Amino acid sequence: MKISKKKFYFVNTAKILFCLLVLILAISILGQISAFNGNYVVIQKHVARLFFGLVIMVIVASVHIKTWENFAYVFYLCAFISLMIVELLGVIKLGAQRWIDLYIFTFQPSEFMKIALILALSRYYSSLTIEELKNLKNHRFPLMLIMLPAILITKQPDLGTALLLISVGIGMMFLAGFPFKPFCYSVLGIIGLCPFGWYALHDYQKNRILNFLDSDRDPLGTGYHVLQSKIAIGSGHLFGKGLFQGTQSNLNFLPEKHTDFIFTTIAEEWGFVGAVFIIFLFVCLVMYFFQMGRESKNKFSRHLSNGIALLLFLHVFVNISMVMGILPVVGIPLPFLSYGGSSMITFMIGIGLIVSALSRIYRRY
Amino acid sequence: MLQNEKFQKELIFRQNIMKTVVIILSLILVGNLYFLQVKHSKKYQLLSDKNRIRLMPLLPKRGNIFSSDGTLLAYSECNHKVVMDYCSLQVFKSNIKILQTCLNLTKNDILKLESRRKSRVSEIVVKESISREEYVKVMMNLFKCNGVYITNSYLRRYNMPEELSHIIGYTSKLSDEIQILEGKTGLELFFNEQLSGMPGNIQKEINSVGKKIRTIDQEAPVDGQDIILSINAKLQKYVYNLLKPYHVGACCVLDMEGKVLALVSYPGYNINSMSMGPSVSEWKNWNSSQYKPLLDRAVYSSYPPGSVFKIIVAYAALKEGIIKANHKFLCTGGIKQDNHVFHCWNRAGHGWIDMVEALSKSCDCYFFEIAKKLGIEKIQKYAKEFGLGNKTGIELPNEKRGLIPSKEWKFLKHKSHWKTYETMLAGIGQGSVLTTLIQVATMMGKLYSNNLNYSVSLLNDHSNSNRVLPIDKKSADTVKEGLRQVCYLGTASGSCRTLYGISGKTGSSQVRKLRSDEVGINQNLIKWKYRDHAFFVGVAPTNKPKYIVTVFIEHGGGGAKVAAPVARKIFDKLIMEKHEN
Repeated sequence: MKISKKKFYFVNTAKILFCLLVLILAISILGQISAFNGNYVVIQKHVARLFFGLVIMVIVASVHIKTWENFAYVFYLCAFISLMIVELLGVIKLGAQRWIDLYIFTFQPSEFMKIALILALSRYYSSLTIEELKNLKNHRFPLMLIMLPAILITKQPDLGTALLLISVGIGMMFLAGFPFKPFCYSVLGIIGLCPFGWYALHDYQKNRILNFLDSDRDPLGTGYHVLQSKIAIGSGHLFGKGLFQGTQSNLNFLPEKHTDFIFTTIAEEWGFVGAVFIIFLFVCLVMYFFQMGRESKNKFSRHLSNGIALLLFLHVFVNISMVMGILPVVGIPLPFLSYGGSSMITFMIGIGLIVSALSRIYRRY
Repeated sequence: MLQNEKFQKELIFRQNIMKTVVIILSLILVGNLYFLQVKHSKKYQLLSDKNRIRLMPLLPKRGNIFSSDGTLLAYSECNHKVVMDYCSLQVFKSNIKILQTCLNLTKNDILKLESRRKSRVSEIVVKESISREEYVKVMMNLFKCNGVYITNSYLRRYNMPEELSHIIGYTSKLSDEIQILEGKTGLELFFNEQLSGMPGNIQKEINSVGKKIRTIDQEAPVDGQDIILSINAKLQKYVYNLLKPYHVGACCVLDMEGKVLALVSYPGYNINSMSMGPSVSEWKNWNSSQYKPLLDRAVYSSYPPGSVFKIIVAYAALKEGIIKANHKFLCTGGIKQDNHVFHCWNRAGHGWIDMVEALSKSCDCYFFEIAKKLGIEKIQKYAKEFGLGNKTGIELPNEKRGLIPSKEWKFLKHKSHWKTYETMLAGIGQGSVLTTLIQVATMMGKLYSNNLNYSVSLLNDHSNSNRVLPIDKKSADTVKEGLRQVCYLGTASGSCRTLYGISGKTGSSQVRKLRSDEVGINQNLIKWKYRDHAFFVGVAPTNKPKYIVTVFIEHGGGGAKVAAPVARKIFDKLIMEKHEN
């Protein structure tokens, strides 16, 4: 029984990942029970989705990481085409269109795009040498990879997801070795251009931002969601109102309590301690992914891990910030916890990719 | 290779930057959570409770008021109303859609409701006092609505709204939010605490659209207590109708226990419409009428008592031994004092008269003389002893004190010294002397029940027999004899000579100084507001006094001519009816 050090590392780290995942999924189920107040039909659906996601994760994990690298651009293309289809359908149906109905479940191309973009960027940067990285011209292609789907998603209109996609992409470029000084300048430049972006916004988006800046602007209108969410979180005190005892969520004062505002439901019932614990779990997961990226000998795996870590953290941060009123309300779900299929499957695929990379962590191919 | 290692280090450095950013952002989240959940949690707890808990008052039933003969005078009528909690426009519209058919709401009503919703009151009253049919209709559709319910409120109703207006008074809602009835005047105000009871409340947990989930806590209201008055409803009505021809007047009927059998101030106003909020025209009428129906003449207004006051002066003089009962005095029709002649009402003079005759003829000169001998201090002392110039303690708010002048009062008020002629004027109940009707009635009660502790009350269980402070019998008997003769030979002999016997005293008090051309003129020729006030106070039957009737007619003319006949009718009604029974 001789276990190599490498194998030991894998088993050990996989154990950590497994523990984190089990904890998060358990919280997810409890949270949904609270949100649906004992409507077990809906909760069964959520649990079924979790298992479906786990199956997909296992499938993704069992595929060789090299295969994922080889097919990265293909996936990106598929995702991009489905985004185009959604855009066209939107034109036909004269309205916002984010989903494709696949009869079994509705499929959200923008969610799929997140993974596809990370794969494509990882593939591209893993092919660059150090010298090539220093040349700014070589970064035009990934920028295009990021901006094209972002523009399409903005037109859906889903500004939140688009900005998130851009942030993940830019973060990945930075971590992959985009020259330091130009990076700083362009970030400052983008921040400087932000005020001009105001005129490009839709009215409802402007409203959300105004409400965010002044929460008392319309307490029963668009600002209602955030106000009620803050009340729910705040009334949770240190230890919460008790499992399934949240008055704000049970009496329907919370909007979207099972999807975007699931964190509020949990924070109300579990209090400060529970909420901090959830943040802690997510941060652990993110740190774990970053660590994976550092340990990995394979360039593609490294970029992939960093990308998924960024994607996960941005989701968590934006979601929790918006339910607490730090950021304006944009439709960003909380990974694993929010009710809904697309987001769940996206992150399960993400974890699957990480596991796939993890199993070959010390190999260069 | 070296370059590669350097590049690797750079990448790790960048990753560290990213990790730091992640940690910092997470700490921001945790810090925010701390502020929300630990530092300001009390505020959010309150807001959360405010969201889900609605406190609704349960109104108590206000107590009834009965008369001594068992007539219901004031009662609370149960009134259902439809109320909606404040809600979003969407819920509001769906609710109104359902209620519209049940309650026959017009477009105008709905617009009004919408504007009330905009003003963010916590409860919108959709319709007040719904009919039985509407009640059933709403009840059947209630499950479809969110945050709509039917509550009870009470309307105050009065059965004799004008006759008893000044005694019972009226109520009004405390506020639009708190619809508890509150007494505003009269007995409703005086006994407000007993009548109103204690409101209860109900704590409901509601969801976001205002639908009731469960009752958290409930406290039942305590209904108010009933009150039984000493008032006799029939008599009250009879007296009220008697006063009608005289425009303005007041009357009080007492028994020897001090119970008020009737207390009327005419004209009255409708307390039913006053409780509901009077219409503009009604309100204008009440306020602009020269007879001022809102003013209570029996308790709240004080007048110069006139010759009625002579009862006190006579008693005082006899008790103090200033004059003997059979001592005769020459009345020549006037007395000169301070370079001014004070006339007797009979300018021809009464000739030689003693105390009894002076009372029965109401000779002014006689009383000028003994008042002068008594002095104002003694007059004041005896007047106060008999309850004049003091509150009688009847169960009505805002009772007037009246005024018995004194040297100190004059000095404080007018910064001048007391003159002898003022004592003389006080002796015949003029000048600065002011009393209320109820005080005069009490004075008569004290005299005829031989009890200075005699007090009046509007409650049925009142009694004076347990505390007696006797008066000087010998002096009182002489005064009583004088009063008996008033109705046989004296001023009231024209209207009050009866078989059962009335003893009384008339009084006509001047409102202003007579002009020389008005002496002895018929009062009907003078402007209404310059006519004399007419007083009559009497007891009957003389042998065994049972009832005390005090009649006051404002600007009625003469006491003998106007007030005495009214009293006679009341006595007839009281004694004859008893006799028939």
